[in-house]
Amino acid sequence: MRPCGVFDKSYALDIAIIRTWQHWVILISALILLFLFPLFGSYYIISFMNYLAISVIVGLGLQIVSGYCGQISFGQAAFMAIGAYTSAILTIKFGFSFWIALPLSGIMAGAVGIIGGAPSLRIKGMYLAMATIAIHFVVIWLLLHMEITGSFKGLFPPPPSLGGFEFDTDERMFYVIMTVMVIMTYAARNLVRSKVGRAFVAIRDNDLAGEVMGVNLYYHKLLAFFTSCFYAGIAGSLWAHLITVVNAEQFTLMHALEYVGMLIIGGMGSIPGVFFGVLFIRILNELVMFTSPLLAKAVPWLGTSPAAALGLVAFGLALIVFLIFEPRGLAHRWEIFKASYRLYPFSH
Amino acid sequence: MIEFLQQAITGMMIGSLYALVAASIVLVYKSTHVVSLAHGQLVAFGALFFWLFIGRLGIPFWAGLVPAFVLTALIGLLIERLTLRPLIGQPLIAAFLMTFAIFIALEGVFVLYLKGQTRALPAFLPEGNFEIAGLSIPINQFIGFLVALFLFAAVSFIFKYTKLGLGMRATAEDHRLAQATGITVRNIFSYIWILSAIVTAVAGIATANVMDIYYMLPYIGISGLIVAICGGLDSLLGALVVGLLLGVVENVGAAYLDPLVGGGVKDVAAYVVLLLILLIRPYGLFGLVKIERI
Repeated sequence: MRPCGVFDKSYALDIAIIRTWQHWVILISALILLFLFPLFGSYYIISFMNYLAISVIVGLGLQIVSGYCGQISFGQAAFMAIGAYTSAILTIKFGFSFWIALPLSGIMAGAVGIIGGAPSLRIKGMYLAMATIAIHFVVIWLLLHMEITGSFKGLFPPPPSLGGFEFDTDERMFYVIMTVMVIMTYAARNLVRSKVGRAFVAIRDNDLAGEVMGVNLYYHKLLAFFTSCFYAGIAGSLWAHLITVVNAEQFTLMHALEYVGMLIIGGMGSIPGVFFGVLFIRILNELVMFTSPLLAKAVPWLGTSPAAALGLVAFGLALIVFLIFEPRGLAHRWEIFKASYRLYPFSH
Repeated sequence: MIEFLQQAITGMMIGSLYALVAASIVLVYKSTHVVSLAHGQLVAFGALFFWLFIGRLGIPFWAGLVPAFVLTALIGLLIERLTLRPLIGQPLIAAFLMTFAIFIALEGVFVLYLKGQTRALPAFLPEGNFEIAGLSIPINQFIGFLVALFLFAAVSFIFKYTKLGLGMRATAEDHRLAQATGITVRNIFSYIWILSAIVTAVAGIATANVMDIYYMLPYIGISGLIVAICGGLDSLLGALVVGLLLGVVENVGAAYLDPLVGGGVKDVAAYVVLLLILLIRPYGLFGLVKIERI
């Protein structure tokens, strides 16, 4: 619902995402704060935020295909791997600069994504989910067994540079990653309210009804897969050049499951939901990391390094709780909160 | 030729275990329409409980079977009661995602217990091989194979000829209609999960008999799910046929293709088969084709 006293006096105002000057102030100051952050943030927080931003980009892609178009995909980690490998191969073996390899790796992942999305033309629901799990394993297997991907050793892409300036630390990469994340968020936010986005929602809600209404199912399903994998590819490329090691071990099925979990917790079909979900899962994981040594001391049965296993338990339990008590995710809670403070002190 | 047959026979032994896991997934799907990823963990925990009783406490294996079954059935019952029942009436994909959440949570518990080690069951079945027409077959695997076939027959019998099975079939058709004819649908759900958990525990014990209990054990549930989907989610016959077939394909493929592509065919064969079958027959080889209405 809209803030009180805000009226749409023109078409431009009607379609605006940001409606009031307060919103503009908050947005611009938040962006300025974000880009000044490396000046006062610690190294740990900065590398953590890099990781968050890359997860957000992957999550945005998944939100488009799963949250908006309704095709659950467990293949996101594999497409991220394709992006990472493409970018690494282009920069190492063919001498491309990072700035050209970045969009190319997105397009490459998207092209493979169209092949991967082809089963969606005939199957849906959990059948498709299983097919994407199969695609994940096939892609990772291919990456491990091809000559050009360096098989088990992996690849070592260089950090990006621009006019002699090397983005070789986490603080410097921060600017690249955050810029890409802001652009990608802007694009996703606008894509889902365009004609294409409405077609996606129609397919999600009832694909047969959508087709009767004149939505071209095949075109839009494949477009959703392409967009989602494009996002994953871009994230993979950033990831590759951030940590400068690419290895298929970094992209496991558990990672793909984690991205789906983020959407469930954040809320399906909502762009802010991606941010909530990513924050929730990553912070939960960090909390487990910090508390597990203490737990291990208190309960010797847990062994010496229970962090990874405890993280899985916490993640699984969080998912179960959200699926039972708030299937619409944190984004729904956020909407309820916004509505209530705009109406305050009235209840409705 | 004899080598091919040998590989095929060995594959069939493993395949029967896939078929068993697939059968328990099919059981759950047939009556509740929930596709379960969580069965992989039931496999792992079935094997783990059995190990606890016979490997750690050292009681004879036939006495260890019962508590292992009871504990696994308890997990199955708890999964149904605590997590899936609140989701009745919600879209089916929510239940699927719930089983995937359970898979992750139980995976954490399993890894936490193993602490990166492997646990080997003491040999509780006769060792050695026997020969038929020049093929050598390990006796303990063959017993697992026979047990799997027997369980298959038992489950099919329960489904077809008992009153409980009739209730299960009626529930699969329509929850409300079944309730109206005097079947307590809630109880049917519990029975189904208990039955399915016990079948899965047998598969787990038979698997642990062939290989050690280690962190990859739950992933046999994904193979089982692949088999269930390829065979058609509502077909027990499909689970059996495709299970055996997948075992053969994996083993023969590994034997003949590994030297050509440099290893690892076994890890990926099941997924390639799944993709091919889904593209050709989306409802599985033996599944019913559903016609949708708006």
